[in-house]
Amino acid sequence: MRHAFRALAPLVFAAALAMPRAAAAQIDLSGEWGTTFFEDILHRGATLVPGDNTGVPLSEAGWRKAESWDEAVVGTHERQCVPHPVQYAVRGPGNIRMVKVIDEPTGRLIAYSLQGSYVGHFRTVWLDGRPHPSDLAPHSYTGFSTGEWVRNTLVVKTTHMKMGYLDRNGMPSSELGTMTEHFIRHGDHLTVVTFIHDPVFLNDAFVRSTDFVLNSAGNAGAWGMCGPDQIVDELVDRPAGYVPHHLPGTVDPGRETFLKTRNVPLEAAHGGANTLLPEYGARLRELAKNPGAVASTEGLACGGNRCVAPPRNDGSDVRVTKVQGKVYMISGAGGNIAAQVGDDGVVLVNAGTGKVTDKVVAAVRGLTNRPIRFVLDTAPDLENIGGNEGLAKAGANGGRGQVAGAAVIAHDGVLRALSATKGKNGPLAAVSPGSWPTITFSGEIKDVQTNGEAIQMLHQPAAHSAGDSVVFFRGSDVVVTGDIVDFTRYPIIDTAQGGTFSGLLAAVNRIIDITVPHDWQEGGTMVITAQGRVGDEADLVEYRDMLTIVRDRIQDLIKKGMTLEQVQAARPTFEYDGLFGATSGPWTTSMFVEAAYRDLSKRR
Amino acid sequence: MKKLARAIVCFLAMTSGVVSAQRGRGAATAPSGPPKAAAPIDLTGTWVSVVSEDWLQRMLMPPRGDYAGVPLTLEGRRVANLWEPASEAADGCKPYGAPAVMRVPGRLKISWEDDTTLKIETDAGMQTRLFHFDASTASGSPKAQATERSWQGYSRAEWEQLIQRGGQGGGLVPPPPRAGSALKVVTTKLKAGYLRKNGVPYSEDAVLTEYFDRLSEDESEWLLVETIVNDPKYLSQDFVTSTHFRRESDSSKWTPTSCEVARGKK
Repeated sequence: MRHAFRALAPLVFAAALAMPRAAAAQIDLSGEWGTTFFEDILHRGATLVPGDNTGVPLSEAGWRKAESWDEAVVGTHERQCVPHPVQYAVRGPGNIRMVKVIDEPTGRLIAYSLQGSYVGHFRTVWLDGRPHPSDLAPHSYTGFSTGEWVRNTLVVKTTHMKMGYLDRNGMPSSELGTMTEHFIRHGDHLTVVTFIHDPVFLNDAFVRSTDFVLNSAGNAGAWGMCGPDQIVDELVDRPAGYVPHHLPGTVDPGRETFLKTRNVPLEAAHGGANTLLPEYGARLRELAKNPGAVASTEGLACGGNRCVAPPRNDGSDVRVTKVQGKVYMISGAGGNIAAQVGDDGVVLVNAGTGKVTDKVVAAVRGLTNRPIRFVLDTAPDLENIGGNEGLAKAGANGGRGQVAGAAVIAHDGVLRALSATKGKNGPLAAVSPGSWPTITFSGEIKDVQTNGEAIQMLHQPAAHSAGDSVVFFRGSDVVVTGDIVDFTRYPIIDTAQGGTFSGLLAAVNRIIDITVPHDWQEGGTMVITAQGRVGDEADLVEYRDMLTIVRDRIQDLIKKGMTLEQVQAARPTFEYDGLFGATSGPWTTSMFVEAAYRDLSKRR
Repeated sequence: MKKLARAIVCFLAMTSGVVSAQRGRGAATAPSGPPKAAAPIDLTGTWVSVVSEDWLQRMLMPPRGDYAGVPLTLEGRRVANLWEPASEAADGCKPYGAPAVMRVPGRLKISWEDDTTLKIETDAGMQTRLFHFDASTASGSPKAQATERSWQGYSRAEWEQLIQRGGQGGGLVPPPPRAGSALKVVTTKLKAGYLRKNGVPYSEDAVLTEYFDRLSEDESEWLLVETIVNDPKYLSQDFVTSTHFRRESDSSKWTPTSCEVARGKK
């Protein structure tokens, strides 16, 4: 045996040598890197001009959104601590730091931590092969990044990015975008080539290559955190929910100066993929004779832009997503269902359409064997109440009251809406009385205490309907918005059930008052909306801003005496249609604009 | 004994896997043989510049005095400020010299002139760059020294090698160089010209170092050229830019335009 060890010792030694080599075999990207700042200084420095979208393959939706951007918006409370989004951070004017993250037990490099350049929370690029989160997971300003070595280049894929910007002059980047970066090192030089794909605001991949030099005497991490101690009243005497923006036709005055002093034709200033190729030089020579001309998009469907939101979960796949604290989200049942789980049992918010109640029950059973105690309905819609009866029967209220199964609680408006449909046509008429709420409230608040947590149902008058409630899990710090917010489409304003555009916008602002983010304006209170992924206050703010801008545009068109048809033809939602729009189905963009128009016309 | 041997073999196999996985795809020792055959990446083909950076300075004629982003010395600024828009026609090929030509919107054709010389042709300005791999043509060699100054200068090329330094398990075995994945080119013997077409200068003392990388992205192929200009006369520090090109399947959009004609000088 001893001889055997002697014979094999060189092999063991060779194997041991292989271990440290493993980590050394790659290109080392770690260190402090100083940005060279020689390229695009007009887009990266203090001279940034609203309306200068040159060199960016913006779609029409992209440049229109950029033109509506007013730099005062960064002074609103909700945006003062928004960091540079990951789509821009590496291009920003700051230095960066790359830190190796080593798994101590194995000695393996499992991630890089990218810091600096006002990137907000440290950004992790995972190298350990882990998958990206599901499409229902929250997005963040750093996104979720994984890397892989291709030859000597680290190729990083990033998803789950929040709505952000490509440059600090308001050029937008949507949350449907993805990003690939190639980190290439040659000696003391690091180049990061960034490809951004965005089906809404870009009409081709946006490519930038940013150069850094090794900066061993530097420190990229001088930013610290941004939180409530740095948020002040920058915009005074403004109404709650104020969103600075430019109405169409009233662009930033700096743009005209820019066009004139740099001799830039308007069409070129809009950007677009065709403007980036050498042959566009011929078009520039044509435009020199008529600098205000813009290529027509007439005849192209939706002006050549995406005008419908991506397809949603069709309900065939019921999935559970942990939100935080005791709260989970069950999706795929027709509408998002929130589930609070604890020793007392289960509290559900909304019940889905009822078509897959057995799957919902199975999903709950996957979380706990405790009974369903309460079902809280947020509005009188089939997507919310259709599964009430089945879920209530599957539950038990612990012998309290007269109800055998789980109690179903809703605002009085829900019961009134359901009972009023008896004997009439429409989707709610088919709802069995067994799905009606068993307990209602008519005030502003209904309190529920379960699993050691205070739960509040907060009535929102005349919003999506007359019977809306927002449900706030105070301990878990999760808000369920019901149909007041839907990250996958424009909100349904059910005017037949007492809904109004103005009431809905007021409700969204009230929800924003409830939510409290962590540092860097993300995380903190989490949000479950009618459909789609888990969100936070920053996502609500984007949604609120969209509603406010659309409201202001429609109000402006109404003031100009336009009819509904004229307002719809003006497409006041243009740049948001690729995120929330629909041209067919039960709730189209046209119907949304009509509901807003009718409500706002009454309030003149 | 057999069990122990098996365990060690397994251990070696596992650690070997770790090395392979962490090196990533394509890691290898340095190539050998003629430069054309040893190329770790294929740079040949037609490439079009996608002007998503410095669009204002590259697609339009920037005004006099716009040297934003270029680290000029005071002397460099003085010279740049002397440029007159009226002199544009007389500038000829000055903005198409090697330190600037990769940044000019246009197309590149890259091919092998022979086993040791890579050729880049530009349609904008109709310039030809020759990258010499032959060691006998190194920058200090008699052949290089005898070369006259020109817009494209004299370029010495080498495939990048990654030298591993320091001890490896006690430094018993010096590790071999690893194959890089880039082309490094150093260019000297330049005629003085413009970094930007509005007269932002570089001098004939300028030394140009470039790295050519190739990237794949979403079913398209890209060429990245990192350009480092060192010019003690007009630049206060190295001027670094990186320019990207997308591969085209053919040369149907190749539009050769002489810099003499393009700039109005016959």
